[in-house]
Amino acid sequence: MGIALRTEKLTKRFDRLVAVDGIDLEVREGEVFGFLGPNGAGKTTTLRLVCALIAPTSGTAEVAGYRLGVDDAKIRAAVGILTEQPGLYERQSAWENLVFYATLYGLPTAVAAKQAERYLRLMGLWERRQEPTATFSRGMKQKMAIARAALHEPRILFLDEPTTGLDPDAAKTVRDFIVALRGEGRTVFLCTHNLDEADRLCDRIAFFRHKVIRIDSPDELRAELYGRATEIRLLPAPRPEDLARVRAVAGVREARFENGSIIVASTDPLRTNPLLVRALVEGGAEIAYVTERRARLEDVYLRIVEEVVEGGEAPLGPPR
Amino acid sequence: MSVVARTPERTTLVRAVCVREWREAIGNKLLVGMTLLPPVVILGTGVLAVAAAAINPPSERDIQALYSAAPAVRGLDPVDAVQGFIATYFLILFMLIPTVVPLTMAIYSVIGEKSMRTLEPLLATPVGVGDLLFAKSLASTVPSVIVTWTAYAFYLTSVVLLGSRAAVNAVTAPRWVLAILVMVPLLTLLSVNLGILISTRVNDVRVAQQIGGLVVVPVVAIGIAQVTGRVVLDNGAFLQMTTVLIVLDLAVFWLAKIAFQRENILVRWR
Repeated sequence: MGIALRTEKLTKRFDRLVAVDGIDLEVREGEVFGFLGPNGAGKTTTLRLVCALIAPTSGTAEVAGYRLGVDDAKIRAAVGILTEQPGLYERQSAWENLVFYATLYGLPTAVAAKQAERYLRLMGLWERRQEPTATFSRGMKQKMAIARAALHEPRILFLDEPTTGLDPDAAKTVRDFIVALRGEGRTVFLCTHNLDEADRLCDRIAFFRHKVIRIDSPDELRAELYGRATEIRLLPAPRPEDLARVRAVAGVREARFENGSIIVASTDPLRTNPLLVRALVEGGAEIAYVTERRARLEDVYLRIVEEVVEGGEAPLGPPR
Repeated sequence: MSVVARTPERTTLVRAVCVREWREAIGNKLLVGMTLLPPVVILGTGVLAVAAAAINPPSERDIQALYSAAPAVRGLDPVDAVQGFIATYFLILFMLIPTVVPLTMAIYSVIGEKSMRTLEPLLATPVGVGDLLFAKSLASTVPSVIVTWTAYAFYLTSVVLLGSRAAVNAVTAPRWVLAILVMVPLLTLLSVNLGILISTRVNDVRVAQQIGGLVVVPVVAIGIAQVTGRVVLDNGAFLQMTTVLIVLDLAVFWLAKIAFQRENILVRWR
């Protein structure tokens, strides 16, 4: 599998603000790569950098085989970008919007028409192709913007918050589209706040806050952070001494209160759980139930971002 | 069918941008109204004024006032003098059309894109920003020049049908015909690029129009000075003004090109 995107110490400063701080990133061809970070982390700036919309302050990048700063027009031809706002010409029809953009991507007239039809059908907008996009709903506009980003068949598709503000049906259409793109071997770079979406769609995820904090698959991120978690519900409610007993059990990596339960992360729950139960019962606790709990990507994300904010830098080792 | 994206040919880009902008403009009733109103008012008023001067002979007092204000018409028959003066005066107003009409279009062209948030996807395509700016300039320039020339053609025909020999001589004077043919496109380009330049800094169409409207001041001043005989626009002066306009056009286009850079647009424009 080749490399679709590679950055080396890519940096962007705006006066004193370092928006992107020397990132080293490799995105493989054909993967859906999630790019997660809080608001203001520099995600959009990173997207603009690698799409050759703005110039880096320092560092280099190779995008779809082209060198940033050397072959910028070729990079823009080889990638597609879904921007934060749909940005459609609202007095013009869906058809006119797409054919106009196909022309700007240098597609011959017949190919432009073919592609516009293909993507309007794919997005379920073919029947309304002659209507001004001003009459479209938010979801339809977003689908139009995705169609516009994809209609020149880019080798890498950059999607900035593709399902934000969409109803469940429209969001599903977009997610199905991303899955279909992966099926075609296309590379997708997905910026999102929707962690569930990232979990479901992405092969690998980068946590980002001005610099890359961590890159891994969703499963590896979960496993490494929490191991396999166990939820213990106590009656009437867990006490501080119960938490202390749990933390003292061998094999426990982390334990905390959450919604009237104790959540325990351990390296080997099959060995640890009986010890936990024994410790709690010996301490006088009444156990209502013990269940396995799979850590959510949201937990991973929140913890990483929290630790970065508190610690000032990445707590989990250098990016891979 | 293989799909290979690339930078489009310049002519293809210009055609696509012009067609899109014209479709957008036609769909904007306010813009159409603001574009057509000045030429229609100037043309209508000009024709009516020449016709009125033909029907109502001027008083002796009016004639003396005219002779003292415009020494160039002294010695002409009073009716001819008044008609010639009026016909020439309205020609100056025709020179205002290329400063007012394209300004509005250019301002809408950029501020419209800013407010619709269409610039980022546009700049994400492989087109060069210089080519894009050139295409946008042409999209505003071509209709404005056509509108001005059409209005002038109507005016010319009306004066030939209604006016005196002096009025006809005034509107068909080679200097004025050349001014319409050469200076109108140059003034239009200046106004368009000034409009684009201003639009990069402000987001309100009305504010941009107020600032851009200042471009009419030197045109009016030169025109009035010419009509009243205080400045004689001979061939030398005409050549000098054309040269100044060309230099100004290039300078303002260059400034607009600096303002119209991908990074400036995405990061600094608000």
